[in-house]
Amino acid sequence: MRNEHESCAVIERALEVVNAEADASYISIDHNITRFANSQIHQNMSEESAWLTLRVIVGNAMGVATTTVFDDDEIARTAELAREAARHSNPILGFDGLYRDNEPVPQLDTFDERTAAISPLEKARALRAMFDRGVRANVTFAGAYATGAASVWCGNTHGVRRFARMTHADATVIAVGANASGYATARERRTSSVDVGMLGDEATLKATLASHATEDLEPGAYDVILEPPALAEVFDWLNMIAFSGQAFEDGSSFFVGNLDKRILGENFTLADDSIDYMPFPFDVEGLPKRRVVLIENGVIRTPVLDKSWADRLSLAPTANAWHLGSPDHGSAFHLVMSGGASSREQMIKSTKLGIWITRFNYVNGLLEPKSALMTGTTRDGTFLVRDGEVVARLPNLRWTQSMTEAFSNIEAISHERRSVGTWYNMFGGTLAPIVKIRGWNITGKQEMR
Amino acid sequence: MPERAHLEDVLKTLTSARYADIRYTATHQQHVKVRNGEVDHLSSTVDRAVGVRVLVGNGWGFAASSDVSEESIRRTAARALEVAAASNLASTQPIALSDVEPFVARWESPYAIDPWSVPIAKKLEHLMNATEPMRGDARIHQVSGEISCYRQEKTFASSAGSFIEQTTTQMGGGIEAVAIEGDEFQRRTYPNPFGGDFQAEGWEFIERLDMPKKALEVRDEALALLAAPKAPAGRFDLIVGSAQLALQVHESCGHPTELDRAMGLEISLAGGSFLQPSMLNHFRYGSDIVNIVADATIPGSIGSFAFDDDGVPAQRFHLVENGMFVGYLTGRDTAPFIGRASNGTVRAESAARIPIIRMTNINLEPGDAKLADIIASTKRGIFVETNKSWSIDDLRLNFQFGCEVAWEIENGKLGRMLKNPLYTGNTPDFWRSCDAIADRSSWQIWGLPNCGKGDPMQTMRVAHGAPAARFRNVEMG
Repeated sequence: MRNEHESCAVIERALEVVNAEADASYISIDHNITRFANSQIHQNMSEESAWLTLRVIVGNAMGVATTTVFDDDEIARTAELAREAARHSNPILGFDGLYRDNEPVPQLDTFDERTAAISPLEKARALRAMFDRGVRANVTFAGAYATGAASVWCGNTHGVRRFARMTHADATVIAVGANASGYATARERRTSSVDVGMLGDEATLKATLASHATEDLEPGAYDVILEPPALAEVFDWLNMIAFSGQAFEDGSSFFVGNLDKRILGENFTLADDSIDYMPFPFDVEGLPKRRVVLIENGVIRTPVLDKSWADRLSLAPTANAWHLGSPDHGSAFHLVMSGGASSREQMIKSTKLGIWITRFNYVNGLLEPKSALMTGTTRDGTFLVRDGEVVARLPNLRWTQSMTEAFSNIEAISHERRSVGTWYNMFGGTLAPIVKIRGWNITGKQEMR
Repeated sequence: MPERAHLEDVLKTLTSARYADIRYTATHQQHVKVRNGEVDHLSSTVDRAVGVRVLVGNGWGFAASSDVSEESIRRTAARALEVAAASNLASTQPIALSDVEPFVARWESPYAIDPWSVPIAKKLEHLMNATEPMRGDARIHQVSGEISCYRQEKTFASSAGSFIEQTTTQMGGGIEAVAIEGDEFQRRTYPNPFGGDFQAEGWEFIERLDMPKKALEVRDEALALLAAPKAPAGRFDLIVGSAQLALQVHESCGHPTELDRAMGLEISLAGGSFLQPSMLNHFRYGSDIVNIVADATIPGSIGSFAFDDDGVPAQRFHLVENGMFVGYLTGRDTAPFIGRASNGTVRAESAARIPIIRMTNINLEPGDAKLADIIASTKRGIFVETNKSWSIDDLRLNFQFGCEVAWEIENGKLGRMLKNPLYTGNTPDFWRSCDAIADRSSWQIWGLPNCGKGDPMQTMRVAHGAPAARFRNVEMG
């Protein structure tokens, strides 16, 4: 990871040669991922990378270029590529230029020395201990234990300069038993908050729960209890098809025409919040981060927007640019769903006939974006709940469900919330509770014939 | 680009490794997109990386850096050794590598017109010509077109004595029209969604696509879908067009025949496979007319190369032969698990990533029927084309696909257009129900530049050849 001085020097050189209104981001990261399967480390990697993205504005039109080489010649070449792209582009309607206000950014605790310094050997020892516990529990483990340290510099020709360091620790563990599997995950700024051994125990519990009782289920509408990883995957898709500035602008988002209208359940509130969750103080356009409520008690409030699309749409920018020039024009990288007063146990106890779901697999949200109709399957722990008790394991199930309908039918929300990482998001993740939803449509099952 | 002598010097320092390789890549990309008469996105990316992979005892270690200087490569190699030592500490199982010959070779994918020699202005003009004719109707909310250029230069040096240089140049392009009326949202694309089609060619491929010629057809179908009846639910004989069937092959044959998935090595993210090694040569995957081949040697396809990232030559082999499951995609460290040699399918997105098993060109071989005859012999069915959504379970058994468009078939004739078709099924049931495969005249190879796998996620460029084919009694809706 490059230090503040080195990073700053790259940004200054880039903005100096560009000779136009411009902004730049320089991100460097040391990323270490230890992957394991069959209780064996099979992929173990350490990557040091850095990239400079330069965005140039010519006549309110923008062009973008990115490089991983930072000598003067390459930076000049990158600047020329961005300038050329801008010259060929059209002015963005309503765009009044790059961010100028230079407001103070929140002071947040984003970096942990211990997480940045953890060695492959330490991680291997923790995993070996978990593997050994698995032998006693008659399970093997698969998953990944990732840690990273990054520095983020961004700035523009209006004098805005931002720098922050951040760390993350992220682990997913699947316990594989004789005929069932279980899953647990965590993502935090500090590795001390991610206990791989405890995740292994949690996954083992899921893999061995009701392992001698299996039942089947006919397609139909059922009450479901969704764990945070299941919700997080749905939110990832909503980020693409509903929350982004692009989805709002092109009319495909169900937010369009519904701002300030209650179209979802009153108990559903979702925000982008990097102040309290996986803290980070600014976006790569340099805007200070703040809590942005996307859906408040079922009322649609705002999509997430970079500055150019906010100007274009005459909406307030939300500080959600995570890659300069991204065609998404805003992504919610710190999604936080408000918790409730219930608990997993209470939800199970209140369920006459329902399904307790650990996580989803391969969700797709492109079926009918206006109703956020999605499909996917369950995996790594799908349980039948009958008369208030977990009575059997179920096969992995296919579901096809409108999310606008589902989030109007939330019956209970847990107080407990868990942090779940996503592969495309190095800055944050999703903080979600457990929810109980009425009438979730099960349409098929995994079956070997 | 690092010198050969330097890479070989670094390899010589890795004395504690049973095996080591060093890769260098320079990946150049340009993306041009227009939308509603404006330039929507115009970007250039150059990504350089070096990666060192070592096997120490029974532990793999990999380190990478975007700093490709000689000093950095030495540091990266030292880190790889440190990481491998950690893996070896937690090792519980032996690792065997299948044999590989040393090769010294240079390969380039051919093209006629260098993508970077075509000025941006010409690319934009081409896209405007392809998208502007689609505008005008108030229900057409969005029209867009995009062109992508990709080139990767790769150097591979290994302790097995290989030194291989490869360069692939690729282009992609496509257009789309989005029609909205009330809550109805319909999208129609050409030749495929998600950036279009991609081939290992130059600008000549974009000219051959002739997107301007297709513009009005795309617009008209998007508008027609607004008023089209919804595809019915129930069981129907289904004819799947070439582009959609290519994705069906990808999801329901390509991924489950990746041996690393079958061995459980990818279950934490991508999932496993219902095709287990004990089923090799014994399991009926499809009907006896189904032949699925992996072929990394097809000229002009983005799934082609000369050597994989283990230094193993590109190959052609069956995965499914006459309906029987006969092969996996393998690499040097997985093939020994089934007692075979690597068939050369290990690749990484760039030198910054660990090479893993990836699809090459995974193709459904053409049959012997004319597509028109297949339609004519279908009493009551549905023809679906162009993917809209895709989802399949973690073992690649239960799938659901949505398509952009469908047409009903009544008494052997294509009838009304239908919107929002969804079909679902179980992989072996589906392929066993295949009773007609169209001949080479409807066979086409489709480039998919966005196959995701691995952690960190690696996006791989693969391809699939497929004709249209008919499947009996498939569940729709």
